[in-house]
Amino acid sequence: MIIDNDLKRIKPLKQSLIDNGFEVVAHLENTVNLEAKCCEIKPDIVIIDTESPSRDTLENICVMSMNDSRPVVMFTHDGDKEKIKIATQAGVSAYVVGDIPSERLIPVIDAAIARFEEFNHLRAELNMANLKLDERKVIERAKGLMMRQRQIDEEEAYTLLRNMAMKKNMKLADLSHQLIEAAKMLIV
Amino acid sequence: MQDQDKTNTIDSVSSTIDTSSSVDASRRQFFKQSIAGAFGAAAALNIMPAGIKNMAYAAGSDAPEITEVKIGFIPLTDCAPIVVAAEMGFDKKYGIKIIPAKQASWAAVRDKTMNGELHASHVLYGLIYGVQMGIGGQQKDMKVLMNLDHNGQAITLSSALKDKGVKDGKSLKRVMANENRDFTFANTFPTGTHAMWLNYWLAANGINPVSDIKSIVVPPPQMVANMRIGNMDGYCVGEPWGARAIADKVGFTVTTTQDIWQDHPEKVLGTTAEFVEKNPNTARAMIAAILDACKYIDAIENRAKVAKLISAKAYVNTSEDVIAGRFVGDYDNGNGKKWKDPNYMKFYQDGYVNFPYLSDGMWFLTQHKRWGLLKADPDYLAIANKVNDIKLYTEAASLTGTSIPKSQMRSSKLMDGVVWDGSNPAAYAASFKVKA
Repeated sequence: MIIDNDLKRIKPLKQSLIDNGFEVVAHLENTVNLEAKCCEIKPDIVIIDTESPSRDTLENICVMSMNDSRPVVMFTHDGDKEKIKIATQAGVSAYVVGDIPSERLIPVIDAAIARFEEFNHLRAELNMANLKLDERKVIERAKGLMMRQRQIDEEEAYTLLRNMAMKKNMKLADLSHQLIEAAKMLIV
Repeated sequence: MQDQDKTNTIDSVSSTIDTSSSVDASRRQFFKQSIAGAFGAAAALNIMPAGIKNMAYAAGSDAPEITEVKIGFIPLTDCAPIVVAAEMGFDKKYGIKIIPAKQASWAAVRDKTMNGELHASHVLYGLIYGVQMGIGGQQKDMKVLMNLDHNGQAITLSSALKDKGVKDGKSLKRVMANENRDFTFANTFPTGTHAMWLNYWLAANGINPVSDIKSIVVPPPQMVANMRIGNMDGYCVGEPWGARAIADKVGFTVTTTQDIWQDHPEKVLGTTAEFVEKNPNTARAMIAAILDACKYIDAIENRAKVAKLISAKAYVNTSEDVIAGRFVGDYDNGNGKKWKDPNYMKFYQDGYVNFPYLSDGMWFLTQHKRWGLLKADPDYLAIANKVNDIKLYTEAASLTGTSIPKSQMRSSKLMDGVVWDGSNPAAYAASFKVKA
């Protein structure tokens, strides 16, 4: 069973689990009635984002099922510390709530880590792209400012900015940003 | 020429920027010098204020090993000591900077404290002992550095039960006997404090929490929403989520936890034994800063300000009003009773709240045993001695002028009239009729 409201992340994970011979019995987008759903669906493993508030609900299910002598782990059972660290960094936590031998557990965790990491990577790339876009916007604005203030054309404005940046040993975007901030104060 | 002119203007713009930063630099320099001067003069005249003395203390051989400490917390009224210590600068006085880090679950608090991502945490007393005993997960040696608060949690029952005439434990038992269905009660973590308060209260009313009800865990901020959709009959949680149920008209307070155990221990400042071993000075500084914060919060005139501070989105994220009332003892149970509670949430009481009493720590072990979370009696006293860092607490208390009690145990009479004073924990754990 997978709990995640991020469909983009879940689709490839589902696929890779299926490829590895697992059955994804359920995918919950929200955790209302999580306890009841666990009882009803009876999954062997639940995979959930480390930052999900509903982890405590699963902790309880695990502790309470202790009496049935089912494996109760947070997948930390084998004490593979490095793997635990990698998993937490990727944002994966898994709960064994059913009957499953621990060697069957490893590929599930590996698949989850791989997919979560891939997703984090994509997200980082997206952030970077947004940042680049923001930088371009700032430079455009600074250029516009220069053009208006000095009645010059775009190319001149750009050359001027670039030379300045080189002289000051600054990133073009940073210099543009400073110019805009200064203009805000000086040109009201 | 024109080009030259253009460049000049840009130069002058950037030199304006440069100048402003050099003004800053010289201002800093000025401050540095005058502070140094003031230091020298004050030291020479022997009129060093206590805070500065502590800074000197911090700068010596007892300097904190880590100066920036990340402390986890869960959005609850009693996260206040961490937030106040950081926001109001009590941390600086002891040479550290506290960074409060909001967490989504107690499981995350535990994992991140265990793997060092968080240096310490606002955490359920029982959870620390649960990890120490390896209940439901990996075992790790843990430390309770101080208790953060007494009282101020509550058990809420649904409006549907209220409509059926339930007003206390007895009437709840009656309704449960008449209705042939599962009754569901929520707490916050299997080994935590709320699970133990709820279990104790149910058991004292003749309801066995292991066999008579279905017990689930719900994250505190989701309690009210879950009750609204009829997912559960009752829950036990820290404020403001009891008051919120009343404000939202989904339930009523059947009992406060201070009526289960007056001045019960609740959240602690918890960390790993490994952290304390490596960073004793940082740990001491954390305790001292948070003791100062607790002292500040306990002054009734400061409570409104603290309520406002912690209600912010970054912290508890609820309306200030929902926190403020019960924070000063103004209780309304949502079922026709209003009262001024003298035993509202306390944070200091000259250290009575904060001292890590061995009897408090052992109590959680006795309840873990009672409810089957521990299969056998542990060495109660040895474990409490290992977990509760009384030595470090005592050092920090001396820095803050906080009193130390004469005994490392305290005696309390709980709601069922049974006295707990830390003597003979195994017999105490076995003495309850209602158990797992």
